[in-house]
Amino acid sequence: MAHQATLRPVSGGSADTTDLALFVQTSQEEVAGWNPERIVEALVRETFIDRDTAVSIAADVEELIKSAKIKFLTAPLIRELVDAKLIERGLEQARKMHTRLGMPLYDVEQLITAQNKENANIPHGPEATNLTLAENIKKEYALLNVFSPEVAEAHMRGDMHLHDLGFVDRPYCSGQSIEYVKKFGLNLPNALSIAKPAKHAEVLLAHMVKFAAALQCHFAGAIGWDAVNMYFAPFLTNMSDERLHQFAQMLIFEFSQQAVARGGQAIFTDINIYWEIPDHFVNTPAIGPGGQETGKTYAEYEKEAQRFAWALFDVYNEGDGSGRPFFFPKPLVHITEKFFKTEGHEAFLEHICDVAAERGNTYFVFDRGETAKVSECCRLSFKLNDSDLNDAATPWKMRFSALQNATINLPRLAYRAEGDDAKLFEMVAEGVRLTVEAHRQKKQFIEKLLEMGEGGPLGLLTMDEDGERYLRMHRVSYLVGMVGLNEMIQAHIGQELHESEEAYRLGLKIIAHMKLVADKYGEKHDMHFVLEQTPAESTAYRFAKLDIKQFGEAARRVVKGNEELNEVYYTNSTLFNVASDNHALERVEREGRFHPLIEAGAITHVWLGEQRPPAESMANLVEKIFRNTANDQVAFSPEFTTCLDCGKTDRGLHENCAYCGSENIEGITRITGYFTKLSSWNKGKLGELKDRYRNDNAFGGSAAARAG
Amino acid sequence: MTLFTKVGCEKCEYVKKAVDLDSLGVTEQRLSGDNYEALAELAYHGLVEQAQKTLPILVTGEEEVVYHAGRIRSYLQRQARA
Repeated sequence: MAHQATLRPVSGGSADTTDLALFVQTSQEEVAGWNPERIVEALVRETFIDRDTAVSIAADVEELIKSAKIKFLTAPLIRELVDAKLIERGLEQARKMHTRLGMPLYDVEQLITAQNKENANIPHGPEATNLTLAENIKKEYALLNVFSPEVAEAHMRGDMHLHDLGFVDRPYCSGQSIEYVKKFGLNLPNALSIAKPAKHAEVLLAHMVKFAAALQCHFAGAIGWDAVNMYFAPFLTNMSDERLHQFAQMLIFEFSQQAVARGGQAIFTDINIYWEIPDHFVNTPAIGPGGQETGKTYAEYEKEAQRFAWALFDVYNEGDGSGRPFFFPKPLVHITEKFFKTEGHEAFLEHICDVAAERGNTYFVFDRGETAKVSECCRLSFKLNDSDLNDAATPWKMRFSALQNATINLPRLAYRAEGDDAKLFEMVAEGVRLTVEAHRQKKQFIEKLLEMGEGGPLGLLTMDEDGERYLRMHRVSYLVGMVGLNEMIQAHIGQELHESEEAYRLGLKIIAHMKLVADKYGEKHDMHFVLEQTPAESTAYRFAKLDIKQFGEAARRVVKGNEELNEVYYTNSTLFNVASDNHALERVEREGRFHPLIEAGAITHVWLGEQRPPAESMANLVEKIFRNTANDQVAFSPEFTTCLDCGKTDRGLHENCAYCGSENIEGITRITGYFTKLSSWNKGKLGELKDRYRNDNAFGGSAAARAG
Repeated sequence: MTLFTKVGCEKCEYVKKAVDLDSLGVTEQRLSGDNYEALAELAYHGLVEQAQKTLPILVTGEEEVVYHAGRIRSYLQRQARA
């Protein structure tokens, strides 16, 4: 590409008549003649360097190119040569500002051809590749330009993990209701058409799905919907059972098959379901067809809401076309005091437990006392305060978000503390401080983007149909997560959380300490910092690998999994070792005592393996959990093998299809908080899967089984 | 026995004035923004959410929970007489 050309003299520098022709492949996909003035312009535009210095640097680079007899020039190469000159001159800040973000050719090739398993919800394909490539650039941008060096280095070392760095220009998760589209219709920024409020259930569903897809493009995580069955109810009056069932099917299939946004992944959707009409909605005027109030309150639609809830679970129970569980939307059923006082609750509880046992879909969210929550994601929830409950009269305003999640690597604090309690607690506080700094920086960045209004990159989040921006920054939470509490305690005192009262109490103290430190920073900065059990799908794996590298034997003593197979992991957040054979109720009760300290949400998993417990037994267990524990949320997870040849699905994880014997099979179970195929799991999660204790002692039956 | 209190809680003071906690072997856990030990103890007994609504709370030696200042005072006075 680069041939004979004459170098034009740089203004202010010495003329050079070397008979050398150079062409440059620019980043605008064109071939241009060599012009050192472009180097000068870029330096002056992008950094704080004065023009004279820029001219001198350009001359140096020109000289370097001449002497090296470089034949092929690209814009990236020129930029690297300029950066080298900046470093030589000690202009590090300018170098950072001038740096180019991107990936090596080899890495791009690998990405296009091999699946990225950081997120098991992202299929392999061109959209996913586009996403990964863009994310890589945004990650670099975030670490260089959004977060301070202190925070960026803490992330890169593995002291903490900044989640979804590749989505730095988005908030994390959101919770809202369909009242927004019921009332205002669908009028999204940049949309090619505007829709008035829906008059029919099917149209409302279409609006909801499209809105969810649009939101998925503006958030990094889950999109949660509050009280779905209740809000649809005014559209479902006098609907026949058959039509209602069909409608429930439409909702579930729409959300489980929409794979359009965020690299082609299914919309990560949570639907909150109530059997009763929650107290805070009893007097709320119901919005019906055309966005108009129906003249009734939601209390008067209880029967329709219940019929719809029942129908949804009928569909979940059927599974998809090949009998597999639906991965999305995730149904979160709120179990409350009022639930147990509402007619028909026994039958409904047995129905949703039947689904939990058969397919695993049901999430049981426990709202005790006067707590009300909008739940979403794997365990995230927004506790409604008095102001939110007042907003229940205008439910389209009930929109919540977490802006960012930053997770502390707890085990390495123990390695560094070397058994010293005071040092350990001091480092925990320092860990929280770092996450707070990260959150403040992310907040500043997002606010800058929001200020650009509807024409800016977060236009959808600034739309204000109700007089308030869609993203209500005053109701945003900032999540402080944790990974590996179990291994931290194990490293510190030699025992795991489930092994002794001393270990257990120490674990509680660590989390209590984190909460109080976060609360203090919240008061100081007027921001809502809350603890969350990080889902840690890949973070638990990342931390374990980094710690083995950095801490050697200290880490090896406690890291779980198989290092030879690279299937290493830390126990997620505050969970007990997944291999511990506690009775399910004991695990739920003991893990549950951490939950009230973790305001943004926690969950206990009961792994079922092949077991299919009786619905009645599970319903009894669920009621016991509600009445006798402080546990926030429980999910029961069976395992399945689905055959890609004959299309049938069987319980348990097997190597062959139980029907046709084929080896062309796919395993399915819950990874952190959602179902997905094992072929998309990262190695850390595969290692954890092997260790999971399958609970059959909660419901009677044979001795506990572990995976081979 | 453990008595959960907090600073500025009048009902907590009402109980503390009525009985000699030390002589009864009652440990006071004063909840505050700095006392993670007290908060952890509260969580251990599964009482975090209850404490947000009402204090003081007494956890007896038999792991029974007694709420409300009047009932706690009566309970402790009976223990003192026993």
